Amino acid sequence: MSTLPQDRREHILTLALPVLLGVAVLGVWQVVTQAFSISPVLLPAPSDIVSSFDDIAGTLARNAWVTGSEALVAFFLSAILGVVAALVLTSSAVVFQAFYPHVVMFQIIPKIALAPLFVFWLGFDSPSRLSYSIFISFFPVALATMTGLNRADANALRLSRALTASRWQILFQVQVPYALPYFFSGLKIAATMSVIGIVVGEFISSKRGLGHYILYSQSHSETAHIFAAMVVLCIVGLIPYGIAIGGERLARKWWRG
Amino acid sequence: MATNIAVENVRKVYQTGKDEVEAVSNVSFTAEEGEFVAILGPSGCGKSTLLMMCAGLETITSGRIIMDGQPVTEPRAHVGIMFQDSTLLPWKTVMENILFPVKVQKRPMAEHKERARELIHMVGLSGFEEKKPHQLSGGMRQRVAICRALVTDPDILLMDEPFSALDAMTRDEMNDALLDIWDRYRKTGLFVTHSIREAVYLADRVLVMTRRPATVVEDLRIPFGRPRDRSIGEKAEFNEICAYLRNLIEKREDSPRRQARAA
Repeated sequence: MSTLPQDRREHILTLALPVLLGVAVLGVWQVVTQAFSISPVLLPAPSDIVSSFDDIAGTLARNAWVTGSEALVAFFLSAILGVVAALVLTSSAVVFQAFYPHVVMFQIIPKIALAPLFVFWLGFDSPSRLSYSIFISFFPVALATMTGLNRADANALRLSRALTASRWQILFQVQVPYALPYFFSGLKIAATMSVIGIVVGEFISSKRGLGHYILYSQSHSETAHIFAAMVVLCIVGLIPYGIAIGGERLARKWWRG
Repeated sequence: MATNIAVENVRKVYQTGKDEVEAVSNVSFTAEEGEFVAILGPSGCGKSTLLMMCAGLETITSGRIIMDGQPVTEPRAHVGIMFQDSTLLPWKTVMENILFPVKVQKRPMAEHKERARELIHMVGLSGFEEKKPHQLSGGMRQRVAICRALVTDPDILLMDEPFSALDAMTRDEMNDALLDIWDRYRKTGLFVTHSIREAVYLADRVLVMTRRPATVVEDLRIPFGRPRDRSIGEKAEFNEICAYLRNLIEKREDSPRRQARAA
């Protein structure tokens, strides 16, 4: 290690330390569950969770596809709707002033409490899950994008006006680029919210998907399966999050060159 | 020579609650075609407000401003503008920033790109065309801003303290660069500054503004021809003019130092 340059060493440490900590926690978990003979219904050992994949890999994959595809659809639609909402709400000062406090208030509502309403309105199938997921994920995108559109550099706006730029030119050539970093910070939140939305929907109203599978496993006291489904759910959640991060990197590269 | 800018009895009053603040009080002057006019005054004397009214970025409370024979009511495409901040768009390269007015005003891109290249060469930024603003120094950014102001070949150039945020050495370099540009392209220019030496060094005429009232109290012709270089700064006449202007401003402003000396 001592021959490695400083930054290389730090790089290895930033990778190795979290991995080591994770392995250590799993090790303690394994030892404790075995040493104290903890019931696998209460807390299965990591080895039980791993071995459960042998039995239920196919089931998990099928359910992961259901949950993942719906979450991705909800993620993309909430990104589009969030941006459209932000563009509409910032299009005029009057509209903005009328809506902004309500959007902020909506952000405060514990929106999980509203999930049953969506079943009431849209039935037990994917439209209600999708709408609920979009409903909770589009707010962060809309709010962040709105903030970004209003944070464009005042000097750049003045320059554009001096150059006789039209409102649309100012919007798309100045405000939108300035809003991009804000948009992506909202999109990262939407990435996790979209999966949460679908899983909550599945808890309430589905016969398929990882959310339903977790409830099903709980009713059969298959705790190891719940953990296995959690692991798969994390992997599913990484897909929209990865897309958001990738987009953010591209945008930053475009900005900074 | 034709009159290119005519400012006639212009006033600007800001309404703040019940109070009225007169930012510009009854200013009149003209600038001939190809003339470089510096507007000199202490901060808060309304000189920037006056320039923003010329740019069509501020409304005129009363009076009028005529540019190229047309009264100014809104920003005009035939005017180049520079601010204290270079105002480059951070995601655009040097070349793209310079061509921003061309894009906005939907002018033919190819021929303006040629002109942009010429301007880049003129200000000594060749080789930096594809760099982004964060890779440039403050002086280089302001050079890009000069190119952007000139790329559409405007008749009139409005400059609002364009070099006041730069360090003294860079500022001297920028003054020389601007003189070179003036000799080559000869625009009608309004240049707002609070630096006496900068005003005298660059301008054909210096208008002095004071704070109360916020109006032009002196219109002084600078007796140096062009091309100029830094050596005029050592001439006795140059320093006499500067001393005269400084005295004029201090007398009008009743600066604390003057009051202390009087006491």
